[in-house]
Amino acid sequence: MKDISLGQFYPADSFTHKMDPRAKLVLVVAFIVMAFLAKNFLSYFAVMICVVSAILVSRIPITKVLKSIKAIIFILVFTGILNLLFYNGDTVLWECWRVKITVEGIIFSIKMVLRLVLLVMGTTLLTYTTTPTAITDGMESLMKPLKYIKVPVHDIAVIMSIALRFIPIISEEVDKIMMAQKARGAAFDNGGLLKRAKALLPVLIPLFVSAFRRAEELASALDARCYNATPNRTRYKVMKFSWRDLIGVIGVAVFIVLVVALNNNFWGAYEAVPAVWWLFSV
Amino acid sequence: MRIEVKNLKYVYSPKSPFEKVALDDISFTVDSGDTLGIVGSTGSGKSTLCRHLNALIRVQSGSITVGDIALHARKVDLKTLRKQVGMLFQFPEYQLFADTVKKDVEFGPLNFGFSAEEAEAAAKQALELVGLDFDEVAGKSPFELSGGQMRRVAIAGVLASKPSVLVLDEPTAGLDPVGKREILQLVTELKKGVTDTVIIISHNMDEIAEFCNRVIVLDNGKLIADTTPDELFNHSDLVDKTELDYPHTVKIKRLLAAKGCTLDSPALSADQLTAAIIGRAKG
Repeated sequence: MKDISLGQFYPADSFTHKMDPRAKLVLVVAFIVMAFLAKNFLSYFAVMICVVSAILVSRIPITKVLKSIKAIIFILVFTGILNLLFYNGDTVLWECWRVKITVEGIIFSIKMVLRLVLLVMGTTLLTYTTTPTAITDGMESLMKPLKYIKVPVHDIAVIMSIALRFIPIISEEVDKIMMAQKARGAAFDNGGLLKRAKALLPVLIPLFVSAFRRAEELASALDARCYNATPNRTRYKVMKFSWRDLIGVIGVAVFIVLVVALNNNFWGAYEAVPAVWWLFSV
Repeated sequence: MRIEVKNLKYVYSPKSPFEKVALDDISFTVDSGDTLGIVGSTGSGKSTLCRHLNALIRVQSGSITVGDIALHARKVDLKTLRKQVGMLFQFPEYQLFADTVKKDVEFGPLNFGFSAEEAEAAAKQALELVGLDFDEVAGKSPFELSGGQMRRVAIAGVLASKPSVLVLDEPTAGLDPVGKREILQLVTELKKGVTDTVIIISHNMDEIAEFCNRVIVLDNGKLIADTTPDELFNHSDLVDKTELDYPHTVKIKRLLAAKGCTLDSPALSADQLTAAIIGRAKG
């Protein structure tokens, strides 16, 4: 339970860390769109350059970013193999019953895996460079327009930040309860799947009980301090759109245009070098 | 049961920026029949030390022997060890889970291989020992009970496995004065049965002074004293040097001495102090 990397903030003094969380949120969404726009290897290459430069600018050690991929390794292998075996291509290399490996299948599965890797690397950069509080503040600010259709934006943001705040506390609690039950002879790491699931009950039930208790206490504490008595709360840290954010937006916009251009072979402008082109434009 | 700890060292998250030495070269022994108090300020390593005793934390370096089980060995028979060393955590009422009190108390015994009848008998015995009426509470949900009763059920859950060593991590935290006394008197009661060795972590010096025959003092992961309560509170200046406090009895004794009324008795428990004062008044 100790290494939950979800929302793990990596403190550093960098360009990306200083950016406005709202800008980072929007840019991450734009980045996701970009990754899905990419069609051929050249445009994938552009997305990759975008990710790598973002990592360099954020001063997060590249090993740290690569670690986030470890979490989805199973998904990567699974999608890779599935696409490899069941893609409907024409150039068959090997066939057995309904399963066939084609050149197109190989290319497609490489692309799928590459896309997932790039997506994860790009999006974890957000959580590495932005504190959970800043993310929720940014989200709240971005969702402001929804207030006009009576969506309780501020409440949602508070719920989110409380949830994030409690992740380490709950995980510590899990450790404690597990130890207490182990001391009473509970074993969590042997037996079949069903037996293991059953063995977790003595942990889950006290955990839920204490989560509800904590929620109630927290609610009373909020009430006792007249939380929400004033409709418009002011902030200690005011978010500001700065020159860094402008550079970020321009950078990502340039990359999106580049990806679209590469997808379309620059609309035929570069047919002068067809040999290299053929290699990548599949 | 005899416990021997030798040169125990423990480091949290070694070789990382968060590295922290929790225990540094700790050695002591606990003999059969001892009631050992462990004192020290928050973060001094008391809980880490205790968790070693039933292998919830594995030995990194040094050695621990409980009875004839070596905890520093590569393979440890955890079931046998944990049956013999019962461990009560802080706020144990938060570990209750079963739908009836009986099932919760039987959880330990059943895990340790008691038969259904044995487990029920053990649960009954343990519940009566902590002062609850078996027939009244057995069928109830533990969550219907009051806080004090929940704590007793949790204690019964540990006692039911009939451990020979009992480790209590701040057993009286958050209880009212009457509840505190009852829990500690229970410990005295226990020592007449199968549990012959008790280890108590406490911040309450009154409890240590009254119930323990030995005490060790931890400070920043180091063992700085292995002594008796009498020695610690009456004949050393260690308490002043650390963030510990004197028990009320010793404080009263000193106030009396300052007024010219010296008592000869160690006067560690309230009863001893009253007896000493009465004796002095008479003679």
